[in-house]
Amino acid sequence: MEEAKVGVFLSDCGGQISKILDFEALAEFVKKVDGVTFVARSSEFWRGQGLKTITDAVKSGKINRAVVAENVPKISEIVIAKAVEEAGLNPHLVEVLDLKDHCAWPHRDAPSEATEKAKAMLLAAIEKAKLLEPIDKAEFPTVKSVLVIGGGIAGMQAAEDLAEMGFQVHLIEKEPFLGGLAAKAGRFFPTDDCAICIQSPTVDLKTVTHTSRKCVYRSGFSEIPNLNVLTNSKVVKVEGVPGNFKVTLERRPRYVSEEKCVACDLCTSVCPVEVPDDYNAKLSTRKAIYVNKPLVYPAAYVIDEKACKFHECAKCVEVCPAKAIDLDQKTEYVTLNVGSIIVATGFREYNPNVIKEYHYSEYPDVITHLELARMLDAFGPTKGMIVKPSNGKPAKRIVFVQCVGSRDRRWNPYCSSICCMISLKHATLIKTAHPDADVTICYIDIRTTGREHEYYYEKARELGVKFVKGRPAEILHDPATNTLIVEVEDELLRRLLELETDLVVLATAMVPSEETKKLAEILGLELDQDGFFKEYNAKLRPTETKRRGIFLCGGATFPKDAPTASLHAHSAAVKAAKFIMQGKIVKDLKTAVVNEDYCGNCQFCPVTCPYGAITLEPKENKHFVAHVSELLCEGCGICVGTCPVGAIELRHLKQDQIAAQMRALLSVNGTPKPLILAISCSECGNAAVDSSGMAMMNYPANVRVLRVPCTGIVQVRHILEAFKAGAQGVMVVGCKPDGCHYEVGSQKAKKKVELAKMLLNAYGIEPERLEMFNLVYIEGDKFAEAAKNMTEKVEKLGVLQLA
Amino acid sequence: MTEEKLEKPTIEDFSREITRMLGGETITYCYQCGTCASSCPVAKTTDRYNPRQIIRMALLGQRYEVLNGDSIWLCASCYNCQERCPQKVEIADVIYALRNMAIREGNIPALYAEFANGLMSEGRLAPISKFLEKKRSDYGLPPLKPTGVEALKKIFSATGFDKIFFKKGEQP
Ligand code: SF4
Ligand code: SF4
Ligand code: SF4
Repeated sequence: MEEAKVGVFLSDCGGQISKILDFEALAEFVKKVDGVTFVARSSEFWRGQGLKTITDAVKSGKINRAVVAENVPKISEIVIAKAVEEAGLNPHLVEVLDLKDHCAWPHRDAPSEATEKAKAMLLAAIEKAKLLEPIDKAEFPTVKSVLVIGGGIAGMQAAEDLAEMGFQVHLIEKEPFLGGLAAKAGRFFPTDDCAICIQSPTVDLKTVTHTSRKCVYRSGFSEIPNLNVLTNSKVVKVEGVPGNFKVTLERRPRYVSEEKCVACDLCTSVCPVEVPDDYNAKLSTRKAIYVNKPLVYPAAYVIDEKACKFHECAKCVEVCPAKAIDLDQKTEYVTLNVGSIIVATGFREYNPNVIKEYHYSEYPDVITHLELARMLDAFGPTKGMIVKPSNGKPAKRIVFVQCVGSRDRRWNPYCSSICCMISLKHATLIKTAHPDADVTICYIDIRTTGREHEYYYEKARELGVKFVKGRPAEILHDPATNTLIVEVEDELLRRLLELETDLVVLATAMVPSEETKKLAEILGLELDQDGFFKEYNAKLRPTETKRRGIFLCGGATFPKDAPTASLHAHSAAVKAAKFIMQGKIVKDLKTAVVNEDYCGNCQFCPVTCPYGAITLEPKENKHFVAHVSELLCEGCGICVGTCPVGAIELRHLKQDQIAAQMRALLSVNGTPKPLILAISCSECGNAAVDSSGMAMMNYPANVRVLRVPCTGIVQVRHILEAFKAGAQGVMVVGCKPDGCHYEVGSQKAKKKVELAKMLLNAYGIEPERLEMFNLVYIEGDKFAEAAKNMTEKVEKLGVLQLA
Repeated sequence: MTEEKLEKPTIEDFSREITRMLGGETITYCYQCGTCASSCPVAKTTDRYNPRQIIRMALLGQRYEVLNGDSIWLCASCYNCQERCPQKVEIADVIYALRNMAIREGNIPALYAEFANGLMSEGRLAPISKFLEKKRSDYGLPPLKPTGVEALKKIFSATGFDKIFFKKGEQP
């Protein structure tokens, strides 16, 4: 490698920090450091003339490394890297440090001490810069095609967005028809219009304008170019890498050709088999060959395998005028090559049987919301009439019971969030159609937090819906009158009530769809404590997952109402598109690399890497060695912290760079206080250090910060080396344990710190000299306080004598 | 003269105190749904008892009223409420915890005091009169065995049960 020629660029931040730091002394100091070939001072270096000074020095060949002392390094780093790259230098040969927030501001009361610390910081940056190596970029191809799993409103929305953006989209649905829960729900709040009314495609601007909303079956959904809908299908295998997944689908036979079927209904008139209709909550029957109504997509009949007598009967085959029926269709396996995957598998009603006191499976007149929705549907089993399923007679008195299996620590501790609104919707629909109906809602808390939702509550009261604050203890049945009795305490009256009623509607919990767990295993995704798919970050990245290229939307992450599910779907579509739209992922290889000669196949790193980036690859001489996927590696260094033999390193922060910085930071003290090394992560930990400086909080200049990507990289030996290099105390400053940017790094660091404490004790060094801190940006005050306390504590312990 | 100031119980103090008692740990989970009250057979027969309300008062720090009232002594320990509580509040056990607290402060209904005194002197909850013993032999039942009151006394002294003052009072 070419000899390092380091340029040092000192920004005095518009003269602000040169009031505190002695810039002449700093310039003199760096000039004398071995390898420094160029020194410049300016008021800023990340733009304008200052930036030009750097690029000119690069272009003239005076320097091949740059150390820039600049404000807000996180941003200036990016700008400067880009500029030097354009000037012909590898952007990773630049080291940026912050003399303002990490030195001048927090130590402004002791300018000469601050100046000495600044020298140490500059020396550390220079020593690191000399050891920096160029890092290349790599390209990973992405297939411009997306798989959307689940054909409910969220999945359809995401599929439509992506197809209209021009991506090839495969939308798969495990049922024979699209629509999901929406197709059964009849009407949706807050518009009270048909649940299957979707935003229709906007591609064909001749016939459809942006104002359009249409029923799914007449929306033209199936005609969107690039959209391939596969019903009766599910994912059985996913291989490959993000951007280039190979997905295997299992496609169950429909036995009716979607292309040929004309939906004439002749087949159902000859089919001799009649079975309870699941779609209508078994409140009616259907034939073995059937279609769901209201119609969604595809508008083709399907044969129920479990009910059909096939060749024994074959009456439908004879009668079908379109010759659309094929009783010998087989299960097919389809392979797809996609760049992104969106999971939109939704949620389902919880089976309320677990709450024995409500006798759901025992009393036919105790039903769930979905069953009521089917009754309210004009296409439904009762053609819109509300009846007692026990005898088919009209139900005049209806009691709703809220929170059935939700907000229940025995079953589902969370609030399902939409059931209050469903009850209010159904209660108002009933009261509007039948003003004389006696409707009561038993609730613990009514939650109407969404837009327009409180108006439903208002309207329900106006229409005469009764509200009883109390969760019923039991539902009893009086066989003599075939009525139900709901035992509940009206808490506001403090009176025990026995509500006589014809029908009880349970607002059951909404839980993850069946097979969620299995799909999560296939996709390598995590589930949350409630069994829903877990987002990458619940606050900021609600449609992403830890696995790159796989996204989530709709009820798959939590029960949602229609507007929220639509929004979520749009978000997932954008994320999925962004991931593949370039046709490639271009990435700086700031990743881990394995020294195959050292790797002892201990298998620690593959299980530790939070991104599954490490696999064990077979080699001829040894059995296996660790291999890092350059695409998946996030460059955190947690593997480095884990490897017992030092076989794995980060390209962007090698061990010798850590050691050189450590030595340099501890080489100059210039304060009467004991030197303390703070190893901080580049995320929340460093943000806390930044913010303490920005807010001009004071802490002593003997505290020196060494920045690493994640505290997960810290090894016990780093800590011991710090003491050897002259530190009298060591602080490890990372993210909160559950807020670590690299998932587990800060937890791993905590364990290392505990281990190191034990070792220090064994060496006769007070373990109190080492401490871990978990801080965030808004805790700058806590960092300053920790630095002060640590200094005082170490001062009290006296000077460390190492043998 | 020294002035005695009474500590004003705050909401937190009393509920914390209860959660530290055996059986009282779960009280703070209660979200006042009323399932317990509508499940309770005692509450059905008298409005002097309502488990939800006891918990409510306890959570609001109404220490005096809860521990000195007769309400907590009315629970029949059927555990219906506990079976059904959606927040897994161990209601009947909470009531026991409250009773234990009340006893420590000397608030013991006469009936319970009698039981305790009977146990300590005779080894039985209820004294067996000559009349009863005669009745047993009339019905052909064998005479009762001695109660081993000495062994019981050891337990009482080890647990501190005998240090509690069981006053005679009025029945709730
Ligand atoms: S640096 Fe982090 S992401 Fe990369 S392989 Fe190591 S542990 Fe995994
Ligand atoms: S049933 Fe449980 S949560 Fe409901 S009021 Fe009673 S103790 Fe509270
Ligand atoms: S255990 Fe006590 S409070 Fe609970 S239901 Fe039975 S009698 Fe009522």
